[in-house]
Amino acid sequence: MLYKKYLKMHIKSSMQYKFNIFLLGISSTLVSASEIISVWLLFQSFSSVGYWGFYEAALMFGIVTTVFSCVECFARGYDEFPTLIKEGSLDRLLVRPVNIYLQIFGSKIEFSRCGKILLGLTVSVIALCNLSISWTIWKAIVLILTFICGILIIFGLMLITAGVSVFTVENLEFLNILTHGSKEICFYPINIYTKWLARFFTFIVPVACFNYLPLNYIMGYGDLPQILCAFAPLIGMLFVIPCFLFFRWCLKKYQGTGT
Amino acid sequence: MEKIIKFSGICKEFKIYQRKKGTKGIFNLFKRDKKIVHALKEVSFEIEEGDIVGYIGPNGAGKSTTIKIMSGILVPTKGTCEILGYNPWKDRKKYVKNIGVVFGQRSQLWWDVPVVDSFELLKDIYNIPNDEYKQTLKLLVSTLKLEDILNRPLRQLSLGQKMKCELAGSLLHRPKILFLDEPTIGLDAVTKLTVRDFIKYINKEWGTTVILTTHDMSDIDALTNKIILIGRGQLLYNGSFSAIRHKYENIKTIEVEFKKEYETLQVDGYEVISHNKNMAVLKNLPTIQFNTKEFISEIGKNYEVVDFSIKSMSVDEILARLYSDYEIVGG
Repeated sequence: MLYKKYLKMHIKSSMQYKFNIFLLGISSTLVSASEIISVWLLFQSFSSVGYWGFYEAALMFGIVTTVFSCVECFARGYDEFPTLIKEGSLDRLLVRPVNIYLQIFGSKIEFSRCGKILLGLTVSVIALCNLSISWTIWKAIVLILTFICGILIIFGLMLITAGVSVFTVENLEFLNILTHGSKEICFYPINIYTKWLARFFTFIVPVACFNYLPLNYIMGYGDLPQILCAFAPLIGMLFVIPCFLFFRWCLKKYQGTGT
Repeated sequence: MEKIIKFSGICKEFKIYQRKKGTKGIFNLFKRDKKIVHALKEVSFEIEEGDIVGYIGPNGAGKSTTIKIMSGILVPTKGTCEILGYNPWKDRKKYVKNIGVVFGQRSQLWWDVPVVDSFELLKDIYNIPNDEYKQTLKLLVSTLKLEDILNRPLRQLSLGQKMKCELAGSLLHRPKILFLDEPTIGLDAVTKLTVRDFIKYINKEWGTTVILTTHDMSDIDALTNKIILIGRGQLLYNGSFSAIRHKYENIKTIEVEFKKEYETLQVDGYEVISHNKNMAVLKNLPTIQFNTKEFISEIGKNYEVVDFSIKSMSVDEILARLYSDYEIVGG
């Protein structure tokens, strides 16, 4: 498969700057680690937010960090779409007889994010071990779906920012509220926020679908209908479809307008 | 010969938003001035199979836009384009298999890995069968003399070596049409010649149709006789370069040195470009056929000449003249 070849090329390229990638990986992992420490410190003084204790928050942190870093690692081409346009690389991709979306995926892979992925997974596993959960097969499935849903939603957000950059060329900083802002939101249970914010991040940008809602089901917490929480990741996944359509439309627009 | 590129009535408009200058611009975050730029206006031409065509025009004339439309990157606002029986932007994936594109200074190869690895990836992208790939690569390597640089990463190569690798990379799949956007820009004389010879070679051997944009008129001189001239988004001329050349070749610049200083200088049939003390530069009007003997007798009537030299227009001057002439016509 072509993507595998791209992967190989990126590994080869990265090997040229082993130390650089390594340092970048360490530093971004440390930044993430400081975030979980701040969550931990917060819980030292609060001990709990509703049903939520430190380990619940840690699990959310783990999930969010994992999915966010996965997307940053493998969908870097969409993340850096403005550069792709500015440098004219997009034109290059368009004259190749291969699916353009695959080529954008292949245009950049950021291996330095692997450290953060590992951190996210480790924190998730530690949190899961320390939480008393009565596991069923359904809960396991929901957990896996939660990760997939997270990846798709964050990727969707990235598609939106990438799409908008067709018109602005520069990456608009305020759109980072969507991507990075929603990441920060995810560290805490969404019901602690004001109603409109909670609603926004449940129904408009459904980040709650890959943390608060499914975790409610897995833990057996909350006053929300359990069945709804269980299906939340599946529903949340659909978010990527309009995002993709928007991106496709923007790409068409690019061909119509150029830069 | 079959016409493989049919370009008819292509228009391309860009909308440009302009923000007001200075501090006023801050308040116009949402209100912007819309301006429509006509990059191409009703451009039509046809190109025959096996041709090498020089696509020329001043900066900002619409050359790159045309290349981008022809390679399926941009969609024109109006008009139809048929290349090899495809519509470049509608049948993009099927169409681009048949073309190779080299964009002047943008690389399609990977910066950090050996060139040959980039080629391998292109092989997979274009789905080139193994035998064919090996054969083509061997041919390209020997004609472009790439033996020594194939295993070095791109970042270590000189501009000329890079360009040679770019050319090889865009020909691995043996395209029927090759678009070159300023292929000789910034190259030294030797590399320029190699690149030119190579373009001629693949044109002859593979019958590849080549469309190249360039500002280097010696490229046109060396490679092709067919030019398409574009200016301000309009097609100005489509035909042989020698015809244009012939038209301007007659105009000579004559530097004259007089024995003494003359207050005024007037010679029938000649235009005085500059006149300073006992030196002058003259040019014959396009209406008269230049003839050295006639010139001497004409100027000798009233002035005493010590020395003079005659210069023909260089290719670049012809082109500059052409641009300015057409701009007068085009308004």
